[in-house]
Formats: sequence, C-alpha cells, structure tokens
Amino acid sequence: MTVIHPNMADENAKIRARDVCVFYGDKKAIDHVSIDISPNYVTAFIGPSGCGKSTFLRCFNRMNDTIGAAKVTGLIELDGEDIHGSRMDVVQLRARVGMVFQKPNPFPKSIYENIAYGPKIHGLAEKKADLDVIVERSLTRAGLWDEVKDRLEDSGTALSGGQQQRLCIARAIAVDPEVILMDEPASALDPIATAKIEELIDELSGRYAIVIVTHSMQQAARVSQRTAFFHLGKMVEYGPTSEIFTNPIEERTKDYITGRYG
Amino acid sequence: MSTPETPNALGPTRTPAFEARLAKRYRAERNFRRIGMGAVVFSVAVLVFLLGNMLLNGIAGFQRTEIAVTIDFPATGLTGDATSLTAPSSAQTLEIQGLPATVTRLAEEQLGKAAAEQIAPDAWRDVVAALAADPDLITTKATFELPTTSALAAGLQGEGDPALQALAQDLAAKGKLQRNWDWGFLARSDATTPQSVGIWGALKGSMLTMLVTLVLAFPVGVLSALYLEEYAPRNRWTDIIEVSISNLAAVPSIIFGLLGLAVFLALFPGLRSAPLIGGMTLALMTMPVIVISGRNAIKAVPPSIRDGALAIGASPVQVVFHHVLPLALPGMLTGTIIGMARALGETAPLLLIGMRIFVATPPEGFASPATVLPMQIFLWSDEIDRGFVERTSAAIIVLLAFLLAMNGLAIYLRNKFEKRW
Repeated sequence: MTVIHPNMADENAKIRARDVCVFYGDKKAIDHVSIDISPNYVTAFIGPSGCGKSTFLRCFNRMNDTIGAAKVTGLIELDGEDIHGSRMDVVQLRARVGMVFQKPNPFPKSIYENIAYGPKIHGLAEKKADLDVIVERSLTRAGLWDEVKDRLEDSGTALSGGQQQRLCIARAIAVDPEVILMDEPASALDPIATAKIEELIDELSGRYAIVIVTHSMQQAARVSQRTAFFHLGKMVEYGPTSEIFTNPIEERTKDYITGRYG
Repeated sequence: MSTPETPNALGPTRTPAFEARLAKRYRAERNFRRIGMGAVVFSVAVLVFLLGNMLLNGIAGFQRTEIAVTIDFPATGLTGDATSLTAPSSAQTLEIQGLPATVTRLAEEQLGKAAAEQIAPDAWRDVVAALAADPDLITTKATFELPTTSALAAGLQGEGDPALQALAQDLAAKGKLQRNWDWGFLARSDATTPQSVGIWGALKGSMLTMLVTLVLAFPVGVLSALYLEEYAPRNRWTDIIEVSISNLAAVPSIIFGLLGLAVFLALFPGLRSAPLIGGMTLALMTMPVIVISGRNAIKAVPPSIRDGALAIGASPVQVVFHHVLPLALPGMLTGTIIGMARALGETAPLLLIGMRIFVATPPEGFASPATVLPMQIFLWSDEIDRGFVERTSAAIIVLLAFLLAMNGLAIYLRNKFEKRW
C-alpha cells in the first residue's frame, strides 16, 4: 500500500528497484519496496530512525553484502542491468555507484592519497600528471581545493569534520561515478558545514544522480526534488518533494511531516 | 508535611553530612593514588636491584686474570707464513711444531715452575689466535697476556690456597699478573675453563635460531590472523580454531620441545641441535601469540575505514593490504616483540631437541650444532669452577643486551609505521 504520486515512473530511470526485501536474519528490515530513481534529480529518503532507509540505500551499491546476516531479495537494476546478475561485478558496481557515509571516514593517509586511491586501484590514470588532474578536479568539484591545495601531503584526518566530509565526497567523485549515495552526510556536522554540504549537493546534482538519506526534513526540502517517506520498513509515499511536504496523500506522511512522530 | 519551612534551609549538597561524604571521597582518591605509586616504586626498586646486581657481578665476568709470557719466535724455531697462520688448521700446525710445550718452557724460564703450572692448559690457543690476526708476529719477539687457571685468579683476589695467594701477589708485584678487560669473551665460544670461555658461539646460535623463528612465525601468524578476521566465516569450525589457538598460547613450552623431538627430529634426524630445528620449535610456540595479538590489532581497525574502501570499489584483498594491514601492523609488531622475547629466553623446549651441548666453535649455519644464550647460562651456572659464576653473570648481561637490541629494533619499526599513517 505504497502511495506513488503520478508521473513518478521513469523510462530512463538510473536505478530501478522492484519488490526489494532485506532480511537481517529473521527480521525483515525492508518490505517489498519498488522505486525508480531518476538520473536528473536529487532523491531524498526520509523517515523515523530504524525505518530502513539507510538499509535500502545500501542495497544500491551492495554494501549489505558485507554484513553476513543480511539477505536481499527482489530486483535492482542500474541502467537496466541487474546489479545482482552474473554480468555485474561488485567492484565495478561500486565504482559506478559511489557512497558517502554518515560519519566522515577519510583514510588515515594524505589528502592527495585519499582522492587518488580510487582512480589508482581502478587504473583510471596512467601517469602521475593524470592523477594530479583528477585530484585537483575532484577537490575543486567538492569545493575543497582552495582550502587544501597547499597541504595535499597533510593527513586527511587532520581536517575539520566538514572538510573531512567534503574530502569523502571528493573521494567518491574521483572515480567518476554515475550515482552518489549519501547516508545522512551532514548529521555529524555543525550548521555552517551542513550548509556547505547542501550547497555542494546542489552543484553536483546535474552531473550525478544523487540519493540522500536524511533525518532532517528541512534538509530534504532544501536539497531534493524527489522524496520517499519510509516507515517500519515500508515505503509509504514517494513523490515530488514539494508535493510530499505541502500536500501529502498518506495520513502517516502528514503526521511525520507535521512532527506528530519521528 | 507538618515540618515548618525553614527560611534559610541548606540545599542537599550543603549539609555537613554531605561535606563529610565529600571528604571521604577525596580521602579514598588520595589513598588509591598512594597505593598505585607504591606499586610502581616497588617494581622499579626490584628492577634496579636486579640490574644493579647483575651488572656488578657481570662486569667481573668481562675481565680475566692474565699472565705475561714473552715469546721470541725466531729463537723457538716456530715457523709459518701468512697463509698457514690464517688457515683454519693453524692451531694443529703450530701444535705439531710444539707451541704448547714452548709456551710452558718459556713460562718456566721467565716466571718459575709454580707460575708456569698455573697457566691455563689451552692458553697457547690465544697465541694461535694472535698469530692468525697478525702473521708478522712470527718473525719478532712478542709478549702475550695468557689466561691463568681459576685457582690463581682466585689467589689474586685474596681467596683460596694461601700458597697461590702468595704467588699471585708476587707475580702481580712484578707486573706479570693482572686483571685485564677480556674483549675476547665476546668473540670466543664455550671452553672447559672459565678463563677461556666466550659467548660468541651461543650468541650466534641464538641469532640464527631467532631468525628462523621470526621468518616462520611472523608471516604465518600475520596471515592466519588476517584470514581468520577478514575472510573466515563465523561458524563452529572457526570457533574451534579460535579456542585452539588461545589454548596453544598457554601450552607449557616444554611440550613444544617434545613435539619438536617427536616430529621435527623424526623427520630430520641429522639436524639434532641445529638452530633450524630449534627455530621451528620456537616458531610453533611464538605463532599463537602473534595470531592473537594480530587479531586484536585487526579488530581495532575502525570498520568505517573498511566501508570507505569497499564503497569506492576496492576488492577485499585490496582493503586488507592497503588499509587494514598497515593500520594493524604496529599492534602486530607489539605482539611479535612479546612472542620473540619469550622465545629468546626459552630453554626448556631446546633441552629436548639436543641444544644442550658443548659448542667449542660457533655454528657455521642453520644446520650445524649450536646452543643458545639461555642454555649457555644454564650450562655455566651448573659448573663447579668458581670462575664460571662471573662468566654466567656476563652471559646474562649479553642476553639482556640482545633482548634490548631486538626490542629496540621492533619499537623503531613500529614507530616508523605509525608515522606513515
């Protein structure tokens, strides 16, 4: 009984999920969720804690594979290709679908190495000069270049929290992904750093399909064009962000939006 | 309810009872700090006593009582050239030419019969060694400081036979007898008299054994830890393996010696007493320690680093070798230090595989018979001759210095890795 607003089905969907269920052992964390993620928009997943929105997000780059007890059923397609299929390699999938985590997790290496690591392991740069270009471009896109260009050899962990998170975003875009998944990217940051991250999401939105999980409804309203509301492992409502926030169809969505629970 | 409200009632944290409790809390804190400090002072005092005692005794072990004998080679008829004197068989050649008898005769002429009898029986080997170091001496007249018997050495210190005490005083007064620094102690091997023993044979044996232990135990231990933490599924079998490894780390070392005897020596009977077998036996003992500390170090690597690497498309092997291993390595090295230090001091398992032997020449390789430092200490401490007491202390100092050098190297490596990350 998911309510999906009209015109949400997308012929050119970047990611298409059909009847996805996720089990942690016997517990069903995600219950038959179907969604089309459009390449041109920022899609936000909102919902109360424990509703499964992060779990669902982690299906898109198969990060749930790393949790032994987790089992994913249903169909997920990236550009029409089954991501669990035999022709899809998980390493390649993760190069195409980047991820930014809740807590900034730069590698304990230099800023340069943090960015260069992805291109290096995927063999995207043949020469050091190519790598330098990728590092500069990625840091520039993440809005961090001017702040760190003089100290690329410093450790990535020496940066402030907000800078670390932008470093992680730069790290994700260094391998030129098609989709960027963001799991509450600003929840550990102060309001100024959060504003910078939101600005950045806005700038990146044309270039990459972005899916963002967030606790903050204001944030979803600010950065996204599409919003899906999750509750108790089910997707309750999916529609244009403006509609979800001003004119929700489902009673539960309305209650959540107006702060009745959550 | 009926209690009237007092206008200036004290709050619950301002009553005398509360202040008394507060004072008690501070008292407990002070007492705890004193007890902790006392414990530290006690352990430091014990350590200082132990080291001080060892050094005081051991310093005498690096000295020996020597008697001066002058040899005029051209007059003795002893011959040789650079080739024959530096050859390994030079001792035999010179012995056939009558060097031992010559030394005794010259000592009798120069110092008297009583003194000549107190020259160590194998003292002439020192002359051989000196000639090997400088073959030109054979054409000249040279004075050699030769080791005495321990009886005369005791006499010089005013102990033992009164006749020898008098002789020692007499010789010392003439400048013929004195205690000298014995740097040869670090270069010689085991011998029958305390005056002629050296530690090099056992030290080299220990080095070779430790090298085998490290080369076997470190990679196997680290790879086991990585596999068990990163790849192995969590099931009954891995639980059993985990418990077994923990138990293995607690097995008394002599049991490993029996294992080495039953398995390694049965497979390679020709390698009795060899550092190779000793190292293999000690590696079995050290490996579980490295596995356990390695697993703990790997567990301490934050999962977020793993997630970050996986999410960017690193394969599991790349995650392990690019991220987990470098971060866990300092912890693994700490475990290795502990394991190797234990292996270095180990005697019991090596007793069983035949490393309790008299080694007069340092081991040439991993397959030649050898003994190790703690075994040498054990052997010397068992000797009746008084002179061995000081030599034992000196050997202990060498063992501790080796241990310190080994740990220092490991700590240096650990810090180097930590800085890179």
